[in-house]
Amino acid sequence: MDTDSTVTAEAEPADAAQAGNGDSDSGVVIETRNLSKIYRDFWGRKKVNALKSLDIEVRKGEVFGLLGPNGSGKSTTIKLILGLLFPSSGRVLVFDKDASETSKNERIGYLPEESYLYKFLTAEETLDFYGRLFDMSGAARKKRVNELIELVGLQGAKHRQLREYSKGMTRRVGLAQALINDPDLVLLDEPTTGLDPIGSREMKDLILSLKKQGKTVLLCSHQLADVQDVCDRVAILDQGELKELGRVTDLLKVQDVTEIHTKRLRPEVEAEIRAIIEREGGDCTIDNPTATMEDLFLNIVRESEARPGARRVTGASTPQKAADDDQQAEDNQGEAGQ
Amino acid sequence: MILQPEDFWSFYEWLMRPESFLESAFLQGIVLFVLAIVIGLMVGYIISANRYGPSEGFYAVARAVRDLIRFDLPGTSAHRVFALARLAFKEAIRRRVLFVVGLFVALLLLAGWYLNPESSDPARLYISFVLTATNYLILALALFISAFSLPNDIKSKTIYTIVTKPVRATEIVLGRMFGFMAVGTVMLVPMGLASYLFVSRGLRHQNLEVVDVVEEADGSLVGETDYVQDHKHSFTIYPDESGSTAQGLTDVVRGHRHIVTRDASGKFEIGLPQPLRARIPSYGDIQFFDRGGNSKDAGVDIGAERFDAGGYGSAGISRVIGLSGGSRKVQHGYVEGGTLGKAEFTFQNVTPERYPDGLNLDLSLRAYRSYKGDIESGIRGSVTMKHPTKDIESNPISFVINEYEVDELLLPLTPEGTDNNETRKLNVFEDLVDENGQLVLVIKCLDRSQYLGVTQSGVYLRAGDNPFWWNLTKAYISIWLQMAMVIAFGVMFSTFLSGPVAMVATFACVLLGFSAEQVYDTRHFIDSGIERGGGPIESMVRLLRQDAMTTQLDVDTTAAKVIKTTDAGIVYSLDAIATALPNLPKMVGTAEYAASGFDILGALLLRHAAATLGYCLLAFIISYFFLKSREIAA
Repeated sequence: MDTDSTVTAEAEPADAAQAGNGDSDSGVVIETRNLSKIYRDFWGRKKVNALKSLDIEVRKGEVFGLLGPNGSGKSTTIKLILGLLFPSSGRVLVFDKDASETSKNERIGYLPEESYLYKFLTAEETLDFYGRLFDMSGAARKKRVNELIELVGLQGAKHRQLREYSKGMTRRVGLAQALINDPDLVLLDEPTTGLDPIGSREMKDLILSLKKQGKTVLLCSHQLADVQDVCDRVAILDQGELKELGRVTDLLKVQDVTEIHTKRLRPEVEAEIRAIIEREGGDCTIDNPTATMEDLFLNIVRESEARPGARRVTGASTPQKAADDDQQAEDNQGEAGQ
Repeated sequence: MILQPEDFWSFYEWLMRPESFLESAFLQGIVLFVLAIVIGLMVGYIISANRYGPSEGFYAVARAVRDLIRFDLPGTSAHRVFALARLAFKEAIRRRVLFVVGLFVALLLLAGWYLNPESSDPARLYISFVLTATNYLILALALFISAFSLPNDIKSKTIYTIVTKPVRATEIVLGRMFGFMAVGTVMLVPMGLASYLFVSRGLRHQNLEVVDVVEEADGSLVGETDYVQDHKHSFTIYPDESGSTAQGLTDVVRGHRHIVTRDASGKFEIGLPQPLRARIPSYGDIQFFDRGGNSKDAGVDIGAERFDAGGYGSAGISRVIGLSGGSRKVQHGYVEGGTLGKAEFTFQNVTPERYPDGLNLDLSLRAYRSYKGDIESGIRGSVTMKHPTKDIESNPISFVINEYEVDELLLPLTPEGTDNNETRKLNVFEDLVDENGQLVLVIKCLDRSQYLGVTQSGVYLRAGDNPFWWNLTKAYISIWLQMAMVIAFGVMFSTFLSGPVAMVATFACVLLGFSAEQVYDTRHFIDSGIERGGGPIESMVRLLRQDAMTTQLDVDTTAAKVIKTTDAGIVYSLDAIATALPNLPKMVGTAEYAASGFDILGALLLRHAAATLGYCLLAFIISYFFLKSREIAA
């Protein structure tokens, strides 16, 4: 995926600076204060306590992840931030404005959990429509729509109605509509769900490039690997409560284990190291690291695109294919491979 | 069609009712808005107090009001409204609602088999058929698209991507309303064209031959046409000034006539039926005189007609609060024959410019026989032109009453008459019309002890005709207005109800709007103690006991009291609700004008337009608050 080259990491929108307290690194974009949400039934009886006294701050320029199992309150938090739900108590401030204010949306891009788009519109019409909602002029809209269609790689399908799209393609249009206004804050609800490994990787690359452009990203996911790959900080929620909050690197660092990476270690050197460690009273395992499934898959696809028709020794690809929704994967692959 | 006094009101009269402001539409509108605001604030407070507690609830309501006035109304962008309207339009079109137009055309194609061209007035049948079909199809469609769209968006969560953009609740509501109105417009245009073609082509026929032409002593030719489409015409061609008998008219049969031309060789040719038209009536003020010649407010009542007709009419707020002063529905007033009894109509603005060829007088009269008499010949009446103040009048012109048809008379411009007992030839504009352009027409019944019934709308001068297409357009505008109202209500309900429920709620409003006049009538009967079946509970009791409608309710006194009190409560509440709702039958009634061949009064259309605008505005404000206070993702 390309990234938008017009905005660089240093170019920082003037109003974003105002939103913070002068220092752009610590500028707070989203702030929740004692945020709680209780779902009630028609008669006002309490059904679920979905969120309990959440206090988080998302700072400008960071990628913030909300993690948690299903029903932990991730989506509720995002919906409260967007004003789709009203808090039962507490407050949400976005760019120092109350979440219920419409004007905050000028600087927000939102990719919902599933891409809730109008199926009877084509990709181009969809983006044009959302552009109109930002009062963009005709020329600016047209330019932006073309840029985004190219960014998400849907040039060949832009005149088809969304009802004909595969899930992955719909997701791309959803992403494009979230970026139509070149937002300062991007909220992504389960961004990699429904994407094949390539799409998933591209999504992660895009998130990183958004970060590079100085934008703030808040995402919620239960794909832990994805969160680990892109997030600077994470909040872990369970049963509506904040369980952990901090930098990913800090949280994941295992303090009492040391890892050494090296290449082409001779067996005698390996034995020597083992001997040293055992002498010190520790026990150790020495092994070749395994690559991730993602790396393997991407390598195969890249190779197959470079040399179509060539057949790689199989074994790895069969369980891989079965793991995916195969029809979908093929579709997506076809679309992505242009 | 009997026009009621309120149908004659000008726009200003309707809006302000200079004589009785309590009945004015303006007051009704103001009361409705104030009530809506008060009830809205109360309900809003109760809900938010329940949600946030008493004091925080108050601030929440205050904030919502402030947001509307300070941010959302001024911040509403025409561009965004347009974008959303365009989306709603596309959605409807891509869901193939245009299918309804196809359905309509199919209906027209089939209708040809069932509409009876042998009826006495096929034009009326055709026109009322196309207008009724259009009306109900469009209202049903408006009901469906408006009630389901927003709930569908909320259910499918597509609304998430809208409300997370800088889109205001005002824009969402307006966008829907305008989008659906555009859909309706796009459908009404082809339906209108199809209707026009259907009516004008469906009624087209040509009588080919003439038979039995006889030349009279005065040189005129009298003959008959052949029998085509189950009717024939007779015609008389009078020689014109040069003595030529080249052109004449047939009589009116089944609501139309043909031009008959005769070429040099003496061959007759009968043209196509004269095009449909819309009479532009010029109504006069009516004054009755009893058999002794004393002026009266109303004519003779020949039965319980006035009671039967009943009803308060829509007298605005004054009826709801019980101040409308009794029944006000106008029915035929009767004039006794062979006495000094008469009905005088004073017409305004009678000028040579408006009536260059004579006064076209149209009469829709009733006859009432108190004895059988000569059943072969009709009851006779006469019309006399008279100066409003001076003692000058024309000789009476007699006619035979044709019931249930419009009789067309051409009053001559130079009639014989008497000027202060002196007989001479009069000139209508010089001798009979006064300096204010007023002329009096006196209508009498000539047969002793028989009665002639008139209404104000039954006797009018016809200054000209409007083309039929323009009248049909006006009827379609009226349908458009009804559609706009239904859409506004549908969108309003859909902001807080689910699709099917919103549709039922809108439908209930439409139904109650349609039955408004019946509700008024029921209230009238209850108020005046007339036994007409009573309210809902009493009717149910009567149905179960198989009692007649007009008998005393045959239950014990306490039970009767309970039933009647409950019924009164229900009927009064229904009355209040029906008064708050648009008076749809009046709007649907405009189709009746077109079908009867009357020009739809501009003032009437303007009144409907103003009422529609008012209701749309109200629905818009209510929708805004519901949408704004709604948790979209809940």
